[in-house]
Amino acid sequence: MNITSLSTDQAPPISVPLRFFAVAPLFLLLAALMLALSDGNLFAAAQTPALLAATHCITLGFMAMVMMGATQQILPVVIGSPVPASRWVAWFTSVPLGAGTLSLCGGFMLGNAHLLNLAWPLLGTAFLVFIVASMLSLWRASARNVTKTAILLSICALAVAVSLGILLVRGFVTGAVLDYAALSAAHISLALGGWVMLLIVGVSYQVVPMFQITPAYPKWLTAVLAPALFAILLLNLALLLIGAEQLWIASAGISFWLLAAGFALVTLKLQRQRRRKVTDATLSFFRLGMLSLLLAALFYLASLLLPAVALQFRLMSAIAFIAGFAMSLIQGMLYKIIPFLVWFHLFRGGINAVKAGIPNMKEVIPDRLMWWHLWLHGGTLLVALLGPWLSAAAWLTALGLLLQGMLLSYAVFTGIVVYRRTLRRIELLAV
Amino acid sequence: MPSIAEFMQGNHKTCDNDFALTEEAALSGDWEAAQSAFGVFSDEMARHFHMEKVQLFPALMAAGGPGGPVQVMLMEHEQINDLLRQLAAALNSRNAQRYAGISETLLIVMQQHNLKEEQILYPIADRLLAKDSAAMLQRMQAA
Repeated sequence: MNITSLSTDQAPPISVPLRFFAVAPLFLLLAALMLALSDGNLFAAAQTPALLAATHCITLGFMAMVMMGATQQILPVVIGSPVPASRWVAWFTSVPLGAGTLSLCGGFMLGNAHLLNLAWPLLGTAFLVFIVASMLSLWRASARNVTKTAILLSICALAVAVSLGILLVRGFVTGAVLDYAALSAAHISLALGGWVMLLIVGVSYQVVPMFQITPAYPKWLTAVLAPALFAILLLNLALLLIGAEQLWIASAGISFWLLAAGFALVTLKLQRQRRRKVTDATLSFFRLGMLSLLLAALFYLASLLLPAVALQFRLMSAIAFIAGFAMSLIQGMLYKIIPFLVWFHLFRGGINAVKAGIPNMKEVIPDRLMWWHLWLHGGTLLVALLGPWLSAAAWLTALGLLLQGMLLSYAVFTGIVVYRRTLRRIELLAV
Repeated sequence: MPSIAEFMQGNHKTCDNDFALTEEAALSGDWEAAQSAFGVFSDEMARHFHMEKVQLFPALMAAGGPGGPVQVMLMEHEQINDLLRQLAAALNSRNAQRYAGISETLLIVMQQHNLKEEQILYPIADRLLAKDSAAMLQRMQAA
């Protein structure tokens, strides 16, 4: 058992997570650009090139970028085991992920095979390095808890989702005969329902009680939720691969969404029971996220009950999940993680740091920026949900994403400036 | 009888509740209530740190427990004490904005500290001190 790993030095240098957080909002700007550049009805089908490009810009460039940076930061705290060679891992994940996302989205937009052929080895490298490094960290961890299990399953789901994604891109480029509908359904379910959902579930077990001082998640829930979600996803994968009847696939879908909705309801209930009553932007982002998860489940059920408009409801479910659930939580978390990292790394300046005066967490990113962002994000989400019905909504969604990307970039940049300025003051005192 | 981990976790919960009561009073401008709640909160924190520093950690080290992590925990106690002093100053000057900022910082520092103790250090204590955990609990309560 590696118990000596519980030291402050296990926290990676601040530049490790910050580079992921600084780059990620730029992909929101790019997603906005792709939506704006699309012609015709963007939501005419689930896979118009512009929609495919914009979606991957958000899921890979924004979401995976933040999630991979944050995982390196969070693993030492929740399981007591750092990610090995954190600087190397950061370089070999952030750079190929950024470059790979650019070429994948460019490839989709332009229908360019060369770009797509460039994309998959880059993305494959980024995820392979991340998966191996996280697995090593999990394997060495002494702690045994429900969060560790959920993160482990999340990374397993990611591995399968990435493999399927690569298979799909390669097939698309070479014109191979594949069951694209089934494979992309499996790819989406494992990436969103597996990697994203399970990581959020595992992290929520820790941070929901921690930020707001709520009761812990009930034991019966934490013991079964992540393994059950993972088992359903594997079953769904098997059903898709053998070409099972729709009824069976829908049953797996219903089970998944019922569990997801249960998780959202329990989280909202715990947050209502919080001891800390002060208003907090992160809490509001979290609640918006959980409400969106409930909506995503409802839209999925509606797509089964109303076959005539099934496509629209499926799209709404995906939008509620990606933009409403995942993006709300990720943004809310960033507004806690960045101020804390700035404070934490400055405090290591020791006595000179105390003399120079370290900004407290509310002096890193102004609260009002976070609230503006919350409203802007809520507005963008509403407009995006109209997208499948109203083609004009695509433009407004693009505008919303553009403004959000700018606001978040500015917020992250503000945090970095505060850090650098204070660090310089501390260093001057040390001379 | 609770395990060491359960007992200390309960202690963390008490501190969390006292923290929330103090913050709520200060941010609603009820400074009198905030002062008295802060008194309870900082006493509870001091008692908890004392139990660890004087009883639990030395016993853990004597039983072959990990030295590095214990040092880190003690260092984080100092970080938390520093924030508590800043919080007391903000309380005395009745500066709600400053209080909110320090309080937010203290919460996250405290919670990630608790998480590391609860996930890693206390379970080790339960294992290494299994034989005389009853005596340890008694000594900690008396400390």
